[in-house]
Amino acid sequence: MAIAARKDELRPGAADAHYDPTVYHPVTSPQGTEISIRDFKLWYGSAQALYGVSMEIQKGMVTSLIGPSGCGKSTLLRSLNRMNDLIDNLTVSGDVRLSGQPIFGPQVDVIALRKRMGMVFQKPNPFPMTIAENVTYPLKVDGVTNKKLLAEACESALKGAALWEEVKDRLQESALGLSGGQQQRLCIARAIAGNPEVLLMDEPCSALDPIATMRIEQLIEELKSSYTIVIVTHNMQQAARVSDNTAFMYLGRLIEYGETKNVFTRPTSKRTEEYVTGRFG
Amino acid sequence: MVDMAQTSDEYMDGAKDKAPASRFSMARTKGSDLTARGEPMVWAMGGSLAFGLLMISGFLALIFWNGFTAFWPKPLEIVTTVSGRTIAGEPLRTESYHPGAEILAALEPSVRDAIIDNGGFADRTLYRIGNYDFYGNDFEWVSAYEVKSVATPKDLMLVERQEWGVFIGTLISMDADGQVSNRPTLDALNAAHERTRALREARIAIEKGPVGDINHEINELRLSIRRAEIKYGTDSPEMIAAQEHAASETVRLTKEFDKLSAQVLAARAAEQSVTVKVADIGGDARDFPLANFVLYYFANDLSLAAKVQIYLERWWEFLSAEPREANTEGGVWPAIFGTFVMTVVMALLVAPFGIMAALYLREYARQGRIVSLVRICVNNLAGVPSIVYGVFGLGFFAYVLGGSIDAMFYPEHLPAPTFGTGGLLWAALTLALLTVPVVIVATEEALASVPRSMREGSLACGASKWQTIRWIVLPRAMPGIMTGLILAMARGAGEVAPLMIVGVVKLAPELPIDAIFPFVHLERSFMHLGFHIYDVGFQSRNSEAGRSMVFVTALVLLALVLVLNTVSIIVRNRLKRRFAGDKF
Repeated sequence: MAIAARKDELRPGAADAHYDPTVYHPVTSPQGTEISIRDFKLWYGSAQALYGVSMEIQKGMVTSLIGPSGCGKSTLLRSLNRMNDLIDNLTVSGDVRLSGQPIFGPQVDVIALRKRMGMVFQKPNPFPMTIAENVTYPLKVDGVTNKKLLAEACESALKGAALWEEVKDRLQESALGLSGGQQQRLCIARAIAGNPEVLLMDEPCSALDPIATMRIEQLIEELKSSYTIVIVTHNMQQAARVSDNTAFMYLGRLIEYGETKNVFTRPTSKRTEEYVTGRFG
Repeated sequence: MVDMAQTSDEYMDGAKDKAPASRFSMARTKGSDLTARGEPMVWAMGGSLAFGLLMISGFLALIFWNGFTAFWPKPLEIVTTVSGRTIAGEPLRTESYHPGAEILAALEPSVRDAIIDNGGFADRTLYRIGNYDFYGNDFEWVSAYEVKSVATPKDLMLVERQEWGVFIGTLISMDADGQVSNRPTLDALNAAHERTRALREARIAIEKGPVGDINHEINELRLSIRRAEIKYGTDSPEMIAAQEHAASETVRLTKEFDKLSAQVLAARAAEQSVTVKVADIGGDARDFPLANFVLYYFANDLSLAAKVQIYLERWWEFLSAEPREANTEGGVWPAIFGTFVMTVVMALLVAPFGIMAALYLREYARQGRIVSLVRICVNNLAGVPSIVYGVFGLGFFAYVLGGSIDAMFYPEHLPAPTFGTGGLLWAALTLALLTVPVVIVATEEALASVPRSMREGSLACGASKWQTIRWIVLPRAMPGIMTGLILAMARGAGEVAPLMIVGVVKLAPELPIDAIFPFVHLERSFMHLGFHIYDVGFQSRNSEAGRSMVFVTALVLLALVLVLNTVSIIVRNRLKRRFAGDKF
């Protein structure tokens, strides 16, 4: 992956002329900014996926990314913990910082960065291990072998993910025996077991039924006091229910970023309005 | 649906003069293109599968039938021919053949007419007559028209001997330490046989054990002198000291050796004290030490239980004993052991190399033209004729690598090579090279089948690439990797051509693993079941004698491969359950 190697965009200014600058009215957190994104651009090979996204993700708040399929919301999320590094021929430019420290750059320790950000994926992806091993995987990665420490971390993470009561008697059973919703909460437990600062969620409820979805949403509500949460969702009601700030993206651009209730009730941008009212997308 | 049925009815009624009412008629159009419906291809595909299965099951049935019946004791017959000759033997098989014109001309007119009426064919039976030391021949064809009478007397005896193969004839007397008993009872014979065989085994144990050790020590002393010479120079004080030490030790060892030799001689005399006089069907009587009889029975006087016992005894001898009579008799234990050890060593060598190479190719190498090229080359390596690997193994492993090892670590043995010639290690390495493409391809596929979400989940937890591979990817891929290893082992265990050049021998004096330090002797040449089949079937003095051995050995080789594969499959399924839970 080349970083900031391309100062020149493939489709410069002219194409951008149709797009107004981002409408920007988020609530600010008293704790300040957790992640700041400045003019972030990203190319897959020669195809540009993100066009100069700039936003400040507020600390201790839930920020949701919405937009139609292919708008770049997942790409943006996966750039935050550098999961996109797995893709060949990826180029990025711009300045992205976590608590003031750069995320992209040759000196960045990607592994240390990822340890500061837990991630939950679209489909539950528990490892083929026991429930306890799944939850303590981030600690195992850090080389923790003390059984007492592991057991404590396992319990607190499972309690944090509201799964403890359901699985406390079968911690040594395979995680694959759990239901879909339980598996996703297990993945959340795994994501928070390493004590991250940020929780990235990539459509965490898209593979779940409504009841499981509701439980995850309650969980997000509980977790937001301890973590900065960024959630990608294609479910606008969900975004409206759980998030403080909402970013609407369209064709690789950040169209509007603002306080959730404003974005959904009084969107400033016409495109946002069309999208949230269901006229397209 | 109703409409369509009607349409097709209409169509069927007026098929000759009316076009189908609907373009979408479900009825089959006469004369329409068969391939459009696909049934002919289904027949072709099913037929191919059936043909393949038939061939394989026929092949297996042949090996199983011939293998399992080879050791069953068959009745013995005495054939009296028209010309008055008598032949005693074990009828093996009957076939029809085309007697030549000269033979026909010499026959009686009535016999000749009968053959001509039969389209020029006559039947003949192959008898195993044994008694190679009497006749110089083991087998004889007897044509049906030559036979005057066939008898199956109960006193006809079949003996498998330590030397000269099978004897068929009658028992006349037994001479036990000068006490001669005519026509001894079977019990008396058995008792004497057991006693002398035990003596014989004790004697062989001395020869192989203490006597072998002394030979080994004497050889070591010789080598210590040579070592001192190489290290400190000719006639250096160290060498002279070694020589003196060797001289004194040799005196002691020679004394011990003489003592043991006397023991061996006495044992030999004791075991030869019982002799039996036997005569062939022509009345040619000869004496043999009873200890030289491996197995004997009165073939026409056997109960079913006795037959089963003989059958099992022969199997046991086959599986546990060393071969004799140029491999056409006796057992194949060294070959089983050699095949097993070589296959295991090969698997131990090929697994880490293949898996690591595949891990690099799939996980670390930048996917591009070069990696594709490497992948094509790896796949093509699997198609190189195995004999080429054999030549490479001999040229590179044995001569270059082995030669260097000899020069560095075993200079005192030279010019006799230690590692510088074909041996177990080089054979295993050659086969590892031969099978590594299989492992690489299977491992790559297994790695590619690990879901992306697993890797991402692990990386998102802050795991490094290696941690992800070690804890997530490899366990998930393990069943697939094991499948590749199983294929490689099956291929390696059955391979013969390269082994013939890199270390397999017709008769190996020692097993590759024994009680002499360092216990595992990877430099030794070894025996192999595949090569044994070739050797017995095509290189022995009498291919007819080896015929049944070929089938039995093939059966054992199949069984060995089956056992190795079964073990690996059990291990694989355990891994599957352990690492994959109940999801797939």
